[in-house]
Amino acid sequence: MRPLTEEESKAVFTKLANYIGKNLIHLIDRQDEPYCFRLHKDRVYYVSESSMRLGISVARPNLVSLGTCFGKFSKTGKFKLHVTALDYLAQYAKYKVWIKPNGEMPFLYGNHVVKAHLGRITEDTPEHQGVVVFSMKDIPLGFGVTARSTVDTRKLDPTAIIVFHQAYVSSTVIRFLYSPTPSDVGEYLRDEDTLF
Amino acid sequence: MDVSNILASHAAKYQSITVEKETPLEVDPGFLTVTDLNPIDEESYNENLEEHLQSLARDGIQALYASLFTLPTRTSPDGPLAQLPPPKTQLPRAKPLPKPKPQTKWEAFAAAKGIQHKVRDRKEWDEERQEWVNRWGRNGKNKQLEEQWITEVPLNADVDHDPRKAARDARKERVAKNEKKHAQNVARAAAANPRDARKQDIEKTLATTRISTASMGKFDKKLDGEKKIRGVKRKFDPTEKSVADEAKASVALLSRLESDSKKTRREPQAEESVLNTRKAVRFASKGRGGLALGREAAGGRSSRGGRGRGRGGKR
Repeated sequence: MRPLTEEESKAVFTKLANYIGKNLIHLIDRQDEPYCFRLHKDRVYYVSESSMRLGISVARPNLVSLGTCFGKFSKTGKFKLHVTALDYLAQYAKYKVWIKPNGEMPFLYGNHVVKAHLGRITEDTPEHQGVVVFSMKDIPLGFGVTARSTVDTRKLDPTAIIVFHQAYVSSTVIRFLYSPTPSDVGEYLRDEDTLF
Repeated sequence: MDVSNILASHAAKYQSITVEKETPLEVDPGFLTVTDLNPIDEESYNENLEEHLQSLARDGIQALYASLFTLPTRTSPDGPLAQLPPPKTQLPRAKPLPKPKPQTKWEAFAAAKGIQHKVRDRKEWDEERQEWVNRWGRNGKNKQLEEQWITEVPLNADVDHDPRKAARDARKERVAKNEKKHAQNVARAAAANPRDARKQDIEKTLATTRISTASMGKFDKKLDGEKKIRGVKRKFDPTEKSVADEAKASVALLSRLESDSKKTRREPQAEESVLNTRKAVRFASKGRGGLALGREAAGGRSSRGGRGRGRGGKR
């Protein structure tokens, strides 16, 4: 576990800024408790200072995970966001897309969002902008990148892709979220072995 | 009455406070050192080494004390203190002498031709302003031609001749040429020691060949005294650094990222001002865009939509 270098922080911040823009400052400079980014086994964790200090005493091979995993660095040095960052992205997202109930399952199976499934979209969303995908009940499902700007979507046919999916929560998690007490949200069906 | 016996015994008991040597002792009170340059008395040395050394040391200390008592003193609560003069002994230099800088091409040429180096002043006299101005840099004289409000244009100049740009280009060219010459000088100085350059080259080649096998050098036969190849070790901040400092650095990085518009996606302007320009244009032009709005504002009659709809009823 170590702090990010400047290049690494730059990569992480640019990726996050694509989704939450200037709200990124709220992640770095938090009012409630100091939080920081830590790198462990190529994964970037967003962790409170107190947990980080506890984690210092754990040997590197024994430390599985700490705080919230935001994503990982690929071997070529690119940063990839994981769905585990969804909580924070959804909280601060600048541009959002809501999809209709009949579009939830296709999205959660890894398909792109087509126009037929589009419920609502933030006005003035530009092209190739990171957006967080919500269900109509305002439950965050995942995030993606817009294929067209909001204005352009009006003219498209219903099968045209609106949002390229980047990451999604699997349906099991959604079931947990729907249940009154979401006890174990750690079951990410598809990627659970590689996610942490 | 003969007192010589008593005197002799007294002298033996309290040795004289003056030290008599063939070569006088060299005393440096500044360093509190005494140097005895006399050759060693072999007889007494072989007879009793301990006694010989003690007597040598005693003489030295005696000479030092004698010199200390001649020094000016200063009173202090702990009694008088002697004021030591600055040391006389020259200590050897701790570091080797700096190597002379390699000559630049111009310096070599000037030395061969016997050209004297003239120190050029940083300031230059400006006749018009009647004051000293910088030769270069801020408000430098070398930028005068491109900054003056009127410039003479040569008769045979092109139509698109821009005297300011020409002067600026010429200046930039001079700077670039100088930089190029500097780089060449540095390269020439680096190549001056071919032995070092060759050694580095060989080491690099050797390191490359050692990992250029199918197993990346893992299963190769090791030679005696072969060193392990070490790369550049990465250095990271400590994990237990203050998080507040880290946050500060992150905020600074963020502000730098925002200012660097080339690397990050440009924020839409709507966020900066209260008015969402794109939305306002769309609303005002009824969704036809800014161009149509501009055309309408320029002249209502020329707009296609206005004529078609507005005055159609009068026909």
